[in-house]
Amino acid sequence: MAMKTGDAFEAKELAEEVKKTLPNVYVDDLLMSLKYFIDEDVAHLSIIDQAVCHRCEHKPCLYFCPVGVYTQGNDGRIQVAYQSCVECGSCRVGCPYKNIHWELPRGGFGVAYKFG
Amino acid sequence: MNNERIAFDAIVVGAGLAGSAAAMVMARGGLKVALIERGQKPGGKNYFGGAIYTHAIADLVPDYMDRRPPFERPVTEAGFWFLGKDGLTRMTVQGGELNAQPADAFITLRANFDLWWAEQAQAAGAFLIPKTAVVDFIREDNGQAGAVIGVITDRPQGEVYAPVVIICEGVNNILTQKLGLINRDLEPAQMALAFKKVISLPMETINARFGLADDAHGLAVSVLGDVSLGLPGMGFVYTNKASVSIGLGVMLDTLAEYRLRPYDILQRYLDHPAIAPLIKGGQLLEYGGHLIPEGGYRAMPKLCTDGAMVAGDAAAMVNALHWEGTNMAIIAGKLAGETALEAHSRGDFTAKVMSRYEDRLSEGFILKDLRQYRGFSRFLETHPQFMDVYPNFVNGALGQFFTAYGKPKKELFKGMLGSLTNQRGLAKAAGDMVAMARSVMGW
Repeated sequence: MAMKTGDAFEAKELAEEVKKTLPNVYVDDLLMSLKYFIDEDVAHLSIIDQAVCHRCEHKPCLYFCPVGVYTQGNDGRIQVAYQSCVECGSCRVGCPYKNIHWELPRGGFGVAYKFG
Repeated sequence: MNNERIAFDAIVVGAGLAGSAAAMVMARGGLKVALIERGQKPGGKNYFGGAIYTHAIADLVPDYMDRRPPFERPVTEAGFWFLGKDGLTRMTVQGGELNAQPADAFITLRANFDLWWAEQAQAAGAFLIPKTAVVDFIREDNGQAGAVIGVITDRPQGEVYAPVVIICEGVNNILTQKLGLINRDLEPAQMALAFKKVISLPMETINARFGLADDAHGLAVSVLGDVSLGLPGMGFVYTNKASVSIGLGVMLDTLAEYRLRPYDILQRYLDHPAIAPLIKGGQLLEYGGHLIPEGGYRAMPKLCTDGAMVAGDAAAMVNALHWEGTNMAIIAGKLAGETALEAHSRGDFTAKVMSRYEDRLSEGFILKDLRQYRGFSRFLETHPQFMDVYPNFVNGALGQFFTAYGKPKKELFKGMLGSLTNQRGLAKAAGDMVAMARSVMGW
């Protein structure tokens, strides 16, 4: 993986004719199908240092998370909707700067798949 | 103040396929076993395609069919679908081996199956402790490097002692790292992110649309080509009794590099003109995602240390090409359990005895297969033509073959070949096939 851009990921682009075939899905419609036991007291995910995210050029967490936990606020800060997390670990291994504090939810909390 | 330690003969972390298998074997051997699960109940954190192989189940529970396993359908048709831009070529097999009774594999849903699997461990005498996360180990002499003699959970006074701990924590190998069995996270290039929908449809509709005689027949296919936009990845379709599991896996580094949202790719796949009619009118029952450790043999941690062993996804026991992993987890869990029994009978829990686990893995298919396929984990990444050029060629060529153009056939065949050689020369294509064979055969 090249480090040319300062990111651990080398950004690539899909061909335009492929790109335009991608729909824009509203992830909340999918989240409604999931069951969670939400821990209101402890956030098991958090950004370690927002300044690192600010410097991160491509911010891949905004894309690869399968449930859209990470969004960028109007103030530019990365917001973390830990309540939607399905605990897959993509952000844990995929953050180019290891800037996400990732723990398992406390026992009994988090996603509870009904089908799996 | 209660100074009595909570003590077991063995602790298993995680009541998934590997964990419950280990617990089952040890409980049957007479050990007092704690099976600790962080979810509300076993299976609640797990997500897969997918199908479970009966050889692994029968190895531990020979009379499994009498114990009412929550199978959806047997796999009676399996194979590949090659998705072109608007076409689909199906290469599947049915009958023969796939008609075996009971079937070689059953399509299942993990929330149901893992629960049943853990019940078999409980029936053998294992003590299930749900809603409890293991956060660290207790080491001998309160040290950081001493033998493992227990675990610390997130319950109040949550220390549980045992001379042997089997780690079946899944793909997020936090504890395996804590123990120093592997010294880093796996790379995004060693991880596939799989995501899918479970879509409900009436049983008769599924039978009709997928050409299945009844609900004692089921389809399991891998889907190549347009499904992953020509990028390293693979789709899948599994028919449940009254729902369809459909989704795909894409390498995590690919999603990051191209800045792709999994749910956008999934919807594009479901909207494909050859796929959409299959699931038309279905209701979304559940969406989800899970990482698969596809790094293969080279991504495996050390498998044991003093007082501990690791099995299943936490040990990267996945054969990505054959979609095997669940069977490896079950058998590895069993072998770890047998090693724990041996350690108890010898009264020796050092790494020397624990390493008998690795010997057992080497004698069977698990380490043999993982070693043989060690080159495959990077294969699709280094050979993207398997994702676009070849699936498109197959669709185009067959489409032309069965079209009457009113032209001489010689011209037609030349054109068909040309559609391949324009994109990939014949020598290169031959080289690809050899490279594919090499990565699979471990040459």
